[in-house]
Amino acid sequence: MKAPSRTLGLKTLGKRLSSPEGLVWVILGLLVVFAMIASPLFLSARNLRNVFLVQPIGLGLASLGQAFVVISGGIDLSVGAVMSLLTSLAAGIYKANPGVPPVLIALMLVALGAGAGAVNGLIVVKLRIPPFMGTLATMSLFQGAVLFYAPRTIGGIPRSYRFISDGTVAGVPFSIILFVAIIAVCYYLLRKNRLGRHIYAVGSDPYVSQISGIPVQRVRFLAYLICGMLVGVASMYMAARMGGGGPKVGVGYELDTITAVVIGGVSLAGGAGNLLGTFAGVLIIGVFYNLMNLLDVNAYMQIILKGAVLIIAVSFYARKRV
Amino acid sequence: MDRAEPTAEPVLELTGITKEFPGVRALDNVDLELLKGEVHGLVGENGAGKSTLMKILSGVYQPDSGEILLKGEPVCFRNPHEAQDAGISIIFQEFSLIRNFDVTDNVFLNREPTRFLGHLDKRAARARTRELLQELGIELDVDTKIEELSVVQQQVVEIVKALSVTASVLIMDEPSAALTDRELGKLFEIIRSLKARGVTVIYISHMLDEIFEIADRVTVLKDGKVMGTRPREGLTKDELIPMMVGRKIEDYFPELAPAPELTGAEGGRPVLLEVRNLSKGDRLKDVSLSLYAGEILGVAGMVGSGRNLLARCILGIERHDGGEIHLQGRAREIRSIYDAIASGFGYITDDRKNLGILGPMSVKENVTIANLMRYLRFGFLRRRQEAEDTRAQVDLLNIRTPGITQEVENLSGGNQQKVLISRWLLREPEIFVFSEPTRGIDVGAKAEIYRIMREVVSTGKSIIMISSELPEIIGMSDRILVMRSGRIEGTIDQHEARATEEQILSLAVGHTFSLHAGSGPKGGGNS
Repeated sequence: MKAPSRTLGLKTLGKRLSSPEGLVWVILGLLVVFAMIASPLFLSARNLRNVFLVQPIGLGLASLGQAFVVISGGIDLSVGAVMSLLTSLAAGIYKANPGVPPVLIALMLVALGAGAGAVNGLIVVKLRIPPFMGTLATMSLFQGAVLFYAPRTIGGIPRSYRFISDGTVAGVPFSIILFVAIIAVCYYLLRKNRLGRHIYAVGSDPYVSQISGIPVQRVRFLAYLICGMLVGVASMYMAARMGGGGPKVGVGYELDTITAVVIGGVSLAGGAGNLLGTFAGVLIIGVFYNLMNLLDVNAYMQIILKGAVLIIAVSFYARKRV
Repeated sequence: MDRAEPTAEPVLELTGITKEFPGVRALDNVDLELLKGEVHGLVGENGAGKSTLMKILSGVYQPDSGEILLKGEPVCFRNPHEAQDAGISIIFQEFSLIRNFDVTDNVFLNREPTRFLGHLDKRAARARTRELLQELGIELDVDTKIEELSVVQQQVVEIVKALSVTASVLIMDEPSAALTDRELGKLFEIIRSLKARGVTVIYISHMLDEIFEIADRVTVLKDGKVMGTRPREGLTKDELIPMMVGRKIEDYFPELAPAPELTGAEGGRPVLLEVRNLSKGDRLKDVSLSLYAGEILGVAGMVGSGRNLLARCILGIERHDGGEIHLQGRAREIRSIYDAIASGFGYITDDRKNLGILGPMSVKENVTIANLMRYLRFGFLRRRQEAEDTRAQVDLLNIRTPGITQEVENLSGGNQQKVLISRWLLREPEIFVFSEPTRGIDVGAKAEIYRIMREVVSTGKSIIMISSELPEIIGMSDRILVMRSGRIEGTIDQHEARATEEQILSLAVGHTFSLHAGSGPKGGGNS
């Protein structure tokens, strides 16, 4: 009795691991093993903490937002620019009024992020501009705005605000609590809530969704709104971690979030994939960058390699298309 | 018998419904009255406006003018949701299921049971879905994803989805297209039980036999106009068909090719294609056939008999693992569809929507796409030549379109099919492979497609026609190959005598088989 059930278990495990959602964890595992062999420094406590507890949070939060949009069948290229703009605003406001309570700043960033998401959503839904074009345009818009506002990096975020990244609650870093809580909420929304079901439906087949009475445009808008809020939270965290903000904070985030989402098994065609995979994708990117640094790979070379890795990763999932 | 009369009150009254699309008046001043608890048959050729009318009733489209009264109250549905809320549910002709969702999620799409703030109650949804399936006496795992279901099972989910709303009006648009006879019987049972509950069912079908079996009253649409509504009792097909097509269908199938020239390879017509011992796994075993110039070779068989696989292997869409293909006497290795096209094949798919037409592109672009090299001069397309050739094809095949720049997706199925045929005619292949040449095409256009096919072979070209419609196989083929389990079970030369449906079926299913009287053209092998 026991043996067959065990082989069955192995089989389902094998099946799970070879699905896009499972494969990403296998890749992560292999990458970690490779990193351990390639660099002795990788396993140091300091490095592990950095790679798994600090680095993934900013990218992770933004990637969750990107995942909502991509699952709904869209894409958001403005993520990085919004992060640069919001962190700069946070730093700028503190510079002018050092006494502002951190909670107020934090809420403001989330609200402004939601605002940016709403702008993207309206452009896609009301003006009917394809998401790629629409958010490419807003990327330029937001990036230009931040350069106007703060051509250079602004520092001076006070210690009280930096609780978001450095503080602990009962020995656990607050940032981790925040991140886990947000992942849980997002997971709930996508998997157990009507809204999430509709986001998947719209991403899978907008026409079928429409004739089934789902308010397709509203769902698309909400996906961008949620993405904006999460990018707001990401900015809130990044401002604390970096102690400031500036026009280069978010550079590369649009590509990194999309990479994480796609490596994590979310289809760029919409409708498929999940958030845990996205999180694994975030870790893969983190380990990858870390390894490059540990091995002292030239910074420009890193960018080239990143492109190559993206192509390889996506080619895994791209078999089905004609 | 159980006619909804005379106490029946109207549930829905449509008056003066008009709807125009660019270049087409899809509905022209349509009046329609639906009674409580009746099954109302709606018939008409493709492009007659049936689907448009139903899309208006279900809130997908809004009429340009006219009035809809629901139980005496004027209503205007701005979207499908409002129509659903008002109790009008529709089973669409093209599937309205999300392929990577499971059965439950599809049945309750957009009506998901929730507890609070949109918190899904999946357990309740699952239980309710099981209940519905049970009521209909259907066994289906509610957690299976749609993409893993057969077409028939998908159709069942479609029906369950529509029934899960407490509907007072249920619209079924070609519900039987993918059903077998037995399943159709089940569907009719379901419809009768709905009727007993006072639900009004609008039943749209090309299959007049079905209409005659299930409908209480029949309305005929033609060119966007209502030609009349009649009670079924006392109505005959001979009355109905002229209302639909405006002419009598005699000479429905054209004459076969002259017989003597065909028989025998020596002294007869040349063999265009010879297939020797073609095999693929155990799905295609040792298939040999010869295709003579100027003939239509019909390939019949049940679903899964290998009839489509045979075509796909000949065309190089799938690789065969054994056997040879000879074209005009020379062995030819066909590794891909590109090889096949270069060797003089033209392929007309059975999946017109996905694999045939380029929907949002114009008639012109669709006609010339397989033949663009011909229009290139110094790297530029000679657009005037393209337009001229397209116009010639439109005239030749009588393609009904407002113009050659019209998007193909706006044409009716029959006209889309003609566009696909002209695409290949322009390329002048020697051998056409037609898969289900008239699937989803109305009576009038069918006859035209048949005529075109005959004209094609009269110029010495040949056609391999794969079809699940036996009347079509018998009416059109010079010779018939019947396949079963990957083998050719028999060849019937129709010049000696026309085959009978029983004869083909007995070869296709492997034992003698008698059709019960009157089961009509849906007899067997429907996919």
